[in-house]
Amino acid sequence: MSAFHKIIATVKSAIERSPRIAPPAHAHTPGVVVPVTHDARRAELISQFARELEAVGGAFLGVFSPDQVRARTLALAREIGAHTAAIGAGVTLDTAAVARALEQAGIAVIRPGASGDADRTSYRERLAACDLGIVEADAGIAATGTLAVVGTIASPNSLTLLPPANLIIFNADRIRADLAAAVAAIGAETFTTKRVALITGPSRTADIEKMIVIGVHGPKKLYALAIWPNQA
Amino acid sequence: MAAAKPDSLPDFFETSRKGVADADLRRKLENSTGRHLEHVAHMRAEFPGYDGERDIARRIKDDAIGRLDELLIELKQKLEANGCTVFVAADAAEARDYILKVARKVGAHRVVKGKSMTTEEIDLNPALQAAGMEVVETDLGEYIVQLRRERPSHIITPAIHLSKEDIGQLFADHLGIAYTAEPEALTAAARERLRSIFLGADLGVTGVNFAIAETGTLVLIENEGNGRLTSTLPETFIAVMGIEKVIPQLADLSHFLEILARTGTGQKLTTYTNFISGPRREGELDGPRAMHVVIMDNGRSAMLADPVMREALYCLRCGACLNVCPVYRRIGGHAYNSPYPGPIGSIVSPNLFGSAAAKLPFASTLCGACRDICPVKIDIPRILLHLRAKETHAQPPTKWPADARRVRAGVRRFARMARYPRTLRLLSRLGGWMLRPFAHDGYLRWMPGPFKNWTRWGRDFPAPGARRRKPHGGA
Repeated sequence: MSAFHKIIATVKSAIERSPRIAPPAHAHTPGVVVPVTHDARRAELISQFARELEAVGGAFLGVFSPDQVRARTLALAREIGAHTAAIGAGVTLDTAAVARALEQAGIAVIRPGASGDADRTSYRERLAACDLGIVEADAGIAATGTLAVVGTIASPNSLTLLPPANLIIFNADRIRADLAAAVAAIGAETFTTKRVALITGPSRTADIEKMIVIGVHGPKKLYALAIWPNQA
Repeated sequence: MAAAKPDSLPDFFETSRKGVADADLRRKLENSTGRHLEHVAHMRAEFPGYDGERDIARRIKDDAIGRLDELLIELKQKLEANGCTVFVAADAAEARDYILKVARKVGAHRVVKGKSMTTEEIDLNPALQAAGMEVVETDLGEYIVQLRRERPSHIITPAIHLSKEDIGQLFADHLGIAYTAEPEALTAAARERLRSIFLGADLGVTGVNFAIAETGTLVLIENEGNGRLTSTLPETFIAVMGIEKVIPQLADLSHFLEILARTGTGQKLTTYTNFISGPRREGELDGPRAMHVVIMDNGRSAMLADPVMREALYCLRCGACLNVCPVYRRIGGHAYNSPYPGPIGSIVSPNLFGSAAAKLPFASTLCGACRDICPVKIDIPRILLHLRAKETHAQPPTKWPADARRVRAGVRRFARMARYPRTLRLLSRLGGWMLRPFAHDGYLRWMPGPFKNWTRWGRDFPAPGARRRKPHGGA
């Protein structure tokens, strides 16, 4: 019997000595469904998202059409005096166009791609030194002002971790009411194969006398904006 | 401190007395715990679903613990399928040795740690340091107590026993910065120092908040981002968890997240909730090349076998019971001589550390505030009584220090007297009449003889008889 199975056997005999209580009943009583249009519901959730994000120290820039996103991103980069920015590949947005707009304005842009072991360190140092990390989230959570960011080769998690400021974009179609809905929408498959981070506001601590300080290890500034898909 | 003393009660008495006498410590604790409780009260008020979520979370834990054997097998299989190496450790020594073996094998020079109570439990840092490795705690609070060569004094706020002035002086001494007591400036100094340490670390070690059996995913919750950095940057990553951290499926998780931060820190959700299922894949920038998961029993299956203790395994380590506990708030975390202080510490420590912590269940007034605030409604007072009963009947009998013996003798005398209610009433009236001349505004600031200990620490005693003059039930 292996050590692992020995421990499992110990646990099993412990369970047998300790009474087991009935498995959870996830009772859910549905309420009245108030008829609202899809757009009205999305707008409501986005405004709730914005309130919650601001409450935890983030900044909501507003709702923009895909074409306006370029201009707003550029304006933000200028506002914070960014010289370099790193942009991950989008989920629904063509971030290459945003990157071009920034480059045309004289801002150096890092666009992550596959990395090998040799260049990992220098790559990271460049990300840590850049002024603004930009990614698109897979989902937004209205109840908590949270953004669910999935790490991929072309949009690594470091983008929302190493730079001092972050812009996280999300598509209005991907706003969800609460955590449970967002986790379900992302799906077990993604959680198994990718690194996922739920981000709620800028990095913070309350370790000194329980006083809140923004910006410890992660970004000090977190900006978010929503894309409203073009009307047909 | 893991140097387990054969009989820790004198120690606990000594250290708790030190804590009580330290008015400065009490002020700091009142400050921080008070602020926390305000946040929690606000969170509970604004989230009407809170109580329902607590019940659901408790039921899920109940179910998970009831089939822990199956879930552990599933978790191990899924983690391995995701590319992790899983080691199941029977006790602290096995867990420590395994981590040390991995650290040596990868030639680690610098180990960065995310906040983890489990690694405190197994005393990992001294073992790694003895092997010649540099170990850096990266959670701000943990970093502070590490610089002071102390243990954390709270599960989630490790430096709760320190004021910003203490920390300012510490940083001035150790980091070579000019003295400041501004939390922003202190945090910035730590960030700068730790960022460069992160970029040069070979091994990362963190704890685990939840392990999802269905997907083989570890969930790490934090506010600072150090847990993300620790699990992202170094080439090797080790996560250490107790066997009780496993939950059946992804869909269960939200029920815990809805309540954990609300009670733990008074937030709706912590800043970062990290899902890690395995090492980095081909072409990816982030994540370790190798990821190890250490799943540790270390006394937990013995807790599971005890029908009363069992629910202690539901604990989410939110730390709220410490903040409401009148004993913790007076004596601070260090007095408990265990990495797990406070009410939850008093019930789990005896099971994890044996006789060294056997007296901790007596460090409670049984007021029940811990049970009320517990996000999974663990009946801590019931377990405390259970453990007290066990200890009372332990052989050889407990050796109590002199003043504890006096208290016990006093209580026994009172119990005898209470059998004659008329005499008792007469005596207390007599006592009240004798004390009345010493009372001010219905309170005694000083009492004679054996009662002087009551008033000694600044507690006033309601003068007998004085209250009877106030109308009953009136506003």
